[in-house]
Amino acid sequence: MKPSQFQHHAPERVDEVVALLAEYGDDAKVLAGGQSLIPIMALRMATYPHLVDIARVPDLSKISATPNAVRVGAMVRQSHAERDAAVATVPLLAKALPHIGHFQIRNRGTVGGSIAHADPASELPAVALALDARIEATGPGGVRFIDASEFFLSTWQTALDDGEILSAVEFPVWGAGSGFGVEEIARRKGDFALVGALAGVTLDGDRVTRACITMIGVGSTPVRCHEAEAALIAGGANADLNEIGRIAAAPLTPTHDVHASAAYRKHVSPAIVRRALTAALKEARS
Amino acid sequence: MSSPVAARFVGSAVHRKEDRRLLTGHGQYVADASAPRMVHAAFLRSEHAKARLNSVNIEAALSAPGVVAVYLWSDFHEKFGEAWHAMLGQELVVPPPLAIMDVRYVGDPIALVIAESRALAEDACGLIEVDYEAEQATVDYATAAADGNVVHAAWGLPSNVMVDMPFTPMSPDLDETFNSVQHVVETTIIQNRYLCVPMETRGVLASWVPGLEELDLIVSTQSVHETRNFFARYLGLDEGAVRVSARDVGGGFGQKMFVFREECAVVLATKLLGRPVKWIEDRLENLTSAGHSRNELGKVRMAISADGIIEAITVDHVADVGAYTPCPAVMDPTLLPGPYRIPRLGFSTQMVWTNTMGKAAYRGPWMFETTAREMAIDIAARQIGMDPAELRRRNLLSLAELPFTSPGGKVFQEITPLETLEQALGMLGYEEFRKEQAEAREQGRWLGVGICVYVEPTSMEQATLGTEGATIRIDSNGKVVAYLSTSSHGQSVETTMAQIIADDLGVAYDDVTVVQGDTQSTPYGPGTGGSRTAVIAGGAAHDAAVAVRDKVLAIAAHMMEAAPEDLQIAEGVIAVRGTPDRSLTMKEVATQAYTNAHTLPGDVGSGLEATIRFKPTRFPTWSNATHVCVVEIDPDTFIPRILRYIVSEDCGKMINPQVVEGQIFGGVVQGLGGVLYEDFRYDPDGNPQTTTFLDYLLPTTGETPLIEIGHIESVSTTNPGGFKGMGEGGAIGAHAAVANAVGDALAHLGVNVTSTPLGPEDIFQLVQASQKERA
Repeated sequence: MKPSQFQHHAPERVDEVVALLAEYGDDAKVLAGGQSLIPIMALRMATYPHLVDIARVPDLSKISATPNAVRVGAMVRQSHAERDAAVATVPLLAKALPHIGHFQIRNRGTVGGSIAHADPASELPAVALALDARIEATGPGGVRFIDASEFFLSTWQTALDDGEILSAVEFPVWGAGSGFGVEEIARRKGDFALVGALAGVTLDGDRVTRACITMIGVGSTPVRCHEAEAALIAGGANADLNEIGRIAAAPLTPTHDVHASAAYRKHVSPAIVRRALTAALKEARS
Repeated sequence: MSSPVAARFVGSAVHRKEDRRLLTGHGQYVADASAPRMVHAAFLRSEHAKARLNSVNIEAALSAPGVVAVYLWSDFHEKFGEAWHAMLGQELVVPPPLAIMDVRYVGDPIALVIAESRALAEDACGLIEVDYEAEQATVDYATAAADGNVVHAAWGLPSNVMVDMPFTPMSPDLDETFNSVQHVVETTIIQNRYLCVPMETRGVLASWVPGLEELDLIVSTQSVHETRNFFARYLGLDEGAVRVSARDVGGGFGQKMFVFREECAVVLATKLLGRPVKWIEDRLENLTSAGHSRNELGKVRMAISADGIIEAITVDHVADVGAYTPCPAVMDPTLLPGPYRIPRLGFSTQMVWTNTMGKAAYRGPWMFETTAREMAIDIAARQIGMDPAELRRRNLLSLAELPFTSPGGKVFQEITPLETLEQALGMLGYEEFRKEQAEAREQGRWLGVGICVYVEPTSMEQATLGTEGATIRIDSNGKVVAYLSTSSHGQSVETTMAQIIADDLGVAYDDVTVVQGDTQSTPYGPGTGGSRTAVIAGGAAHDAAVAVRDKVLAIAAHMMEAAPEDLQIAEGVIAVRGTPDRSLTMKEVATQAYTNAHTLPGDVGSGLEATIRFKPTRFPTWSNATHVCVVEIDPDTFIPRILRYIVSEDCGKMINPQVVEGQIFGGVVQGLGGVLYEDFRYDPDGNPQTTTFLDYLLPTTGETPLIEIGHIESVSTTNPGGFKGMGEGGAIGAHAAVANAVGDALAHLGVNVTSTPLGPEDIFQLVQASQKERA
């Protein structure tokens, strides 16, 4: 469980990061918080002769707010985001962060690293997908934006091109009357979710004017439940949430692992959606 | 004559001597040790559960950067001698240090790479080319006995059965009883595979000292003396030429009782190289290759009378011992009736080989008797329509009716099974809980309570286990050093033994230093394991301290011209009773004993030192406990959560209540872990599926309930302190208590819980199956 030898690069500007990735190609990997990459290398599931450590690039560690969105730099530590006032205006992100591992992991782990790693059981990719976040990618050709709905291709696969890094994520801020809920089943506190649901609603009286429901742990990417969202908007704040949960779960085709079968994941999904929505509606009403 | 000293430390939660260094990160583990010219070891291990080794090409590895040597079986062949342990006997030979012609489990070591760093050694392992010819593995132990695919076919063995004891009725009227009683309950209980998982993995720094021709080992072990004993035989050396030491050991739980083949390989490597070789096992190796435990099943039958008296119990037992077992410790079927008044017993037992990691001892290695009996009692109670607490109450032994001889030949004395049951039920408020449970069920909540009562054989006599030794010396400054035969790996032995010694010598607790885990200074002993330290090492410490005290009194009496029996010792001051101004400090007596010893009369002797070995008056020393667990299962997610956990225990006189409770906490967490979280799994081809802590889930503090403990102290007469062992009980009792609680929570759904683990997936499957059956 020792990684093989690699060269550690510590650039201080984004263009240097991009240049190093261009120089070393497939031999290079970006190192952010290292909470997934380092165990993978220690287990020798992957070997990279060059690691481009982005921790010393000040531009990547900033959080900035505009009236409609919060921009979180790729290298912002999860524990930093948890305590940030601007992030608090994106309650779904703020609620999801404490579910990631343990505080020691969040002290190292980064917002951008988790999204770029694109684990289908991770919370932050689901937050990005639920809120229609924009992923800022920086490459040799400059900066471009990718909608979260286009970003997650499969397990650990994203729409980033070779030589590009995820440089920031823009999370939209929802308006007044909104509420959010994060619900997940994990074997132990801090474990990857067996199944999770992240939900948001905006209420105008009993009318649901906006809804998002995203599930994790039930496929090769986080799954946005569009039909269930539409049913909730149609049914309003007093809709039968068990039914919304069933609609969300119906199209799912989860996989199995040592912790849970596909049947289990599918079976428990409606209740998890119901619980996330119950929390979101409660917050929206308050 | 009244005692010259008064007990001041035994019985109280004095601060632990170990805490300063361990809690400040200054413990000395094998990984902290180094030696000049030291090199590092890594093993190339089999990726197949069963395969012929057609060829192993090490050429590229040999020329890799930093590589010092690459060893295969052919390098070690005929370089070592006998490979057996005193405690296990000559028949149980440690397997060859590296695979010879074939591999028999995933993790079987094939090559040993020695390099300038562990990382470089791992790099070189990746360059070794192995041509495997894979064969079908035997993985399922329940069917292995009848499987013609033989794990050890290469040894010419005809089947996978290592031990086969056919059904043995221990009572002549067993069949009649089953034919005539009101209720016969039959159920097959299955306990899953889970592991010791010490925080410190295995590790050794082995140094062959050329010229002196000596072997020096710093090793993570529960027994330095057994390790020395072993390697003296292994290398054909005098025991004096082998030094084994273990300063701090980060947990063993049975895993580190014996020498492993990997340690043999490292020792052979240092001897061939003449350089110190260090091997620190990584977690992947520890989970897959350091011995596996539990993984036993038994078909239990009980004959129960109309009024709930258990008239007979039998078991047909099968245990998986894997491919090569470091210690084939499985259920003791003669203990199946446990602390119950059950008059009849019968059993069969089978131990079978499979192409998996071999069985290792784990905290209460015989404990499947408790799991099988206690889970079967809950099934029986449900079947005959009696509350499980009441069924136990009608059959449990109580202190007043002892001694009792069980049909398994166990003579129980000084235990309190019924008393601990009643205390534990009282702590819970059992009747109130049943009402709360009924109300909760109406609200759609699934609550359950589980009980487990057991008796724990401690301080057993087998082979080397029956005695311990202690050398106690008061040094020239009047301070005490105790050299004990123990090898602590987390039992607070320095603390508890110092409490005993300080009381017996009448000195301050802080003035006692305990030395252990070093063959060069301590008396021989089998190591720490089998819950023996309080009783046997405690007896040795007591007897040696009393012998030294007698010397102190003799010299002081001479110096003060008083009779020894008129003296008393307190706080390190020896005084004449009733005449406190006539006194000496321990240092003054020590100065006389060492510096001016020639002036002492011959019958008084010189020096303040004694070595004594101790054996209890009988074996074993029994202790006992009752565990009660309350769980709630989320009907939406099937996640079980422990709401309350109660232990009522009787370990006799407690040396240190904090240490006793610490032992219970740790054991309980291991037991509940094995039900709710931990489960080592292989796929049908023998590939391990839970090889990191991402998949092999240990309970953390976040999953650990508050554990409430009640004590009953029925004093033991096997040893002068009145102590009983208790180190394994937590892990013995927790498994069935938690499983029974889950079973009770699901009982109203028609679910019978007969196997573990019981994670959310397992509970989901049970509930689904029951619903399907009912539909």
